[in-house]
Amino acid sequence: MEYYHSPDSIKDALSMAREFDGNFIYFAGGTDVQIYRKQKLEKNEHIIDLKSIQDLNSISMKDEVLSLGAMTPLDDIIKSKEIQNYFPLLMEAAKSVATPVIRKTATIGGNLLVRNRCTFYNQSQEWRNGVGSCLRDVGDICQVTGGNNDCYSRNVSDTAAALIALNAEITLINSNEMTQKPLKDIYLPCGIKFHDLDNKNILTQIHVPFRPKKWWYKKLRVRKTLDFTSLTIAATVDNDDMARICLNGVSMAPILIEESLDTLTIESLIKQARKNCKTVDNDLMPLKYRREMINVFLEEWWEYEHHK
Amino acid sequence: MEKVTLTVNGFTQSVLVESHETILDTLRNRLNLTGTKKCCDEGTCGSCTILMDGKPVLGCLTPTLRCVGKEILTIEGISSGESLHLVQKHLVKSLGLQCGFCTPGVVMTAIPFLEENPHASRNEIKESLSGNLCRCTGYKKIIDAVENAAEEMRS
Repeated sequence: MEYYHSPDSIKDALSMAREFDGNFIYFAGGTDVQIYRKQKLEKNEHIIDLKSIQDLNSISMKDEVLSLGAMTPLDDIIKSKEIQNYFPLLMEAAKSVATPVIRKTATIGGNLLVRNRCTFYNQSQEWRNGVGSCLRDVGDICQVTGGNNDCYSRNVSDTAAALIALNAEITLINSNEMTQKPLKDIYLPCGIKFHDLDNKNILTQIHVPFRPKKWWYKKLRVRKTLDFTSLTIAATVDNDDMARICLNGVSMAPILIEESLDTLTIESLIKQARKNCKTVDNDLMPLKYRREMINVFLEEWWEYEHHK
Repeated sequence: MEKVTLTVNGFTQSVLVESHETILDTLRNRLNLTGTKKCCDEGTCGSCTILMDGKPVLGCLTPTLRCVGKEILTIEGISSGESLHLVQKHLVKSLGLQCGFCTPGVVMTAIPFLEENPHASRNEIKESLSGNLCRCTGYKKIIDAVENAAEEMRS
């Protein structure tokens, strides 16, 4: 049996979460999670739909800090004049997610916590039965590497790359307290448990304090629309020439490289990126091509950054 | 099963639905509104696009229970009698359809887009329809039709 619940406050949502004791899934926009349910990759009985919680859908600027409610649709972010003017990197990232219609439902919070993807996992049950289930599903080996310990499914959040490059923080609420932490700290380098939030917490707000001097964003995907990323790079440079380059779609968690432009060289940047990205053959694009594109994108950014 | 009240194409009716059901299945299987097409059933093709409170949403990804208290508009509610909406009229005139399976989704995506962006460029129209797959036309005639509809809407 499946049950749908639509609380209208965070308190009610948390109280339902306690009552259902892990046997539930939160819906933000639900555009990704619905597919997991259809593919029988998500089998919890209860759906807690956060859509009716009005407090979570907002865009505001105070003391030059942008605050976004986690349930703000991506389309609202793209159309916000404040974000267009002051945080164009975030706008570009939001605009590169899915399709225009999906972006009217999909939310920023949902995109930040989007589940990791792999070509051997994100398939119908029939497909998985035919090929063999992987260790993230009910099998005991990784279908990509043949190993039995690690899952290398990829984090595919485009907005996470942008917001980490923008040094964003998030607010989490559970029944006892409200905590704030850097967004980059929630991601874990594991394809199965890809963030450290348990379901007793609700992501409520995203705060962006930092307006970079320069920014750059690029996403690699099969088509120019709909597809999840094969490689996303978001980069910012602040007034002190500190660069923050975030790569996503090529490893289990977003990879952040932070270094001053005074010491950074393109060779060391590529070396760090290639070393930190645990890229395996789990995407539609071939592994060799995706690895090569890391170099290509970073060189493009480097050229853009040093172009006078 | 849960009894819910839905407002579809201006008519309010009560219907029994499963808790996990999508509005696409409710429309097609319980209300016999089969104009909204079920194709990929995973948010990839745009065939099941409907309007919820005037905004386009994908029927295959939207829980029916999320639609309670909202105004749902499907392709059946777009034209008034035999008089087609401008977008429909121009799709016919520009031969913007062949098998017609994707057409309801195209219409339901194009109408709110043109209402919001009456002066949209051809590229903006292309982008707005980028979530609607068509296996017959090669898209050019669909884009032509929406562009022509926009022009007539403005005049």
